[in-house]
Amino acid sequence: MAFAENHINTDVPEKDVFALHFLQTLSNLSTQNPFSSPDKKSDRVKKIKKAAYVSMARAAGCTDRLWSRALLQRAAKRNNKIVRFPRRRKRVTWLRRRSNRRDPVEEAAAERLRNLVPGGGEMKTSKLMEETAHYIKCLSMQVKVMQCLVDGLSPK
Amino acid sequence: MDTSEKEEFSGEKRNDNHPADWRVSGSNPVSAPPFGSYPTENLITASCSPSQMMDSFGQTLWYDPTNVQAVGYGGSSSSSCFRGGMDWSLPNLLPPKGNGLFLPNASSFLPPSMAQFPADSGFIERAARFSLFSDMVNQPLGSPESVGLFVQGQCPSSEVNVGGVAHNNVIRCSEQGSKPNVSEDTQSSGQKGGETSSKGFDSKKRKRNRQSSEAEQSQRSEEEAENNGGDKKEQSPNSPGNKTNSGKQASDPKDGYIHVRARRGQATNSHSLAERVRREKISERMKFLQDLVPGCNKVTGKAVMLDEIINYVQSLQRQVEFLSMKLATVNPQMDFYLEGLLAKDVRELQLRGGSSSATPFPTQNMSMVYPPLPHGFMQQQTLSSVGRTISSPLSPMNGGYKRQETNGWEGDLQNVIHINYGAGDVPSDPEAAAATASLPSSNMKVEP
Repeated sequence: MAFAENHINTDVPEKDVFALHFLQTLSNLSTQNPFSSPDKKSDRVKKIKKAAYVSMARAAGCTDRLWSRALLQRAAKRNNKIVRFPRRRKRVTWLRRRSNRRDPVEEAAAERLRNLVPGGGEMKTSKLMEETAHYIKCLSMQVKVMQCLVDGLSPK
Repeated sequence: MDTSEKEEFSGEKRNDNHPADWRVSGSNPVSAPPFGSYPTENLITASCSPSQMMDSFGQTLWYDPTNVQAVGYGGSSSSSCFRGGMDWSLPNLLPPKGNGLFLPNASSFLPPSMAQFPADSGFIERAARFSLFSDMVNQPLGSPESVGLFVQGQCPSSEVNVGGVAHNNVIRCSEQGSKPNVSEDTQSSGQKGGETSSKGFDSKKRKRNRQSSEAEQSQRSEEEAENNGGDKKEQSPNSPGNKTNSGKQASDPKDGYIHVRARRGQATNSHSLAERVRREKISERMKFLQDLVPGCNKVTGKAVMLDEIINYVQSLQRQVEFLSMKLATVNPQMDFYLEGLLAKDVRELQLRGGSSSATPFPTQNMSMVYPPLPHGFMQQQTLSSVGRTISSPLSPMNGGYKRQETNGWEGDLQNVIHINYGAGDVPSDPEAAAATASLPSSNMKVEP
């Protein structure tokens, strides 16, 4: 099975790359609006969360991955307008529906996965799995970074 | 000797012990025979690990050493089969990962080989089998195709046999299980594997291949146009094609199509073939994901696996949200922390520059990496120093932090904070420049 990984490239940069990007984004965040919304915690949480995702997308390879691209697009556009791309999926045509290539159980699960992974609505299922793998790796890395930061900054 | 080998190779099934077949006249497979030697010896050497082969071919610099790992094995094996001119453009024959094999290249290397060897069916069989066997890496999946073409062009009568034998060889070689190591595959090719790995091949319907030209063949590819440099599909364990003429072979010609062959006893409708390809791709990636998600090794079945994956992704996202909430609560400290970084960046830079012996960290390096924004430039410099500090190993200060794979990373962070608050410990940083240099010099666009 690992043979297949030769052409599925899910390399993820080191933790420090993620850390750097995250800290950069955070500092940009804090210098941007130092006093504007300090009290509204939910806003701050949202901003930090968004910063986390954006920095993760940048650290993991800005445009190399479909999910990072979609994430950054979504983040950039959220200010202007919400654009929902139509779920263009290469779905089975009427010819192919005969062959049971679309396992209903698998398709339901794949649908849920598409909702989770950014940019998943437009991928074929095989590509979706690849993106999910990379996304999982990056997410876990980002979680580690944030955990370290929290541990470092929490009052001792 | 030639005829005896022919008989040895042609008639029997390929399930028996490989090494006995491949070794001819007791020649040592490990030894590196000269090029002028008998082709079977070349076959034998090609059955060795690619490193051994590379040693044997080391003198001939007709392949790019950098390509050797991925490409050279298959190419060298083919070359050993055909003993073509050393001046083949091997990269042409075996294009880099991601591209397909140019089927016309098959014809390009055919003539020299033709000149070298007698086109007897037995040798061609062996050669085809051999090259099919040896192509265990991504790229040269097309070369068995081309070899197949060559074989078919020469001796149509023995084609079925070749295909079957080749498939058997290939299947056996691909039965190695999980390791993608080419050398492992080739070394254990002689052994019978239990099951087929994702390196399985399907033999195309031979009749069609026989008549179709190369161009036609590229168009006969399946609808799925994957350009993944040789898609390896997993043979389902219930495939009956193990011992028969049919097998599965995926080649990747330059138009990016995957050639899939119908297995014996299965529908050869193009739709079902494409569907099978797709299913196997998905299952292959599922296996990959299974390794990634913790605690999924025992789970079998696509549905449960997918549910596990979904749960894991959801849990990770929830963790991110939770941690961002925690960071929001410590936000004042974080602001102070970042301010401290800003204030002390110069000193840290000097400290870094003094302590790092191997990697000097010139200022202009940073300005290269970070496009100088008037506002954020100082921050970036600071953060670069922070990154270096974070990445550097640490004299143990990590108290109760959980150990991650990067040794003492959390402690580094703690250390940085101590530096800023005046505790003053100076870790050494070996990878400072690497950390910052690895950052892509993307635009530092601020996200509002």
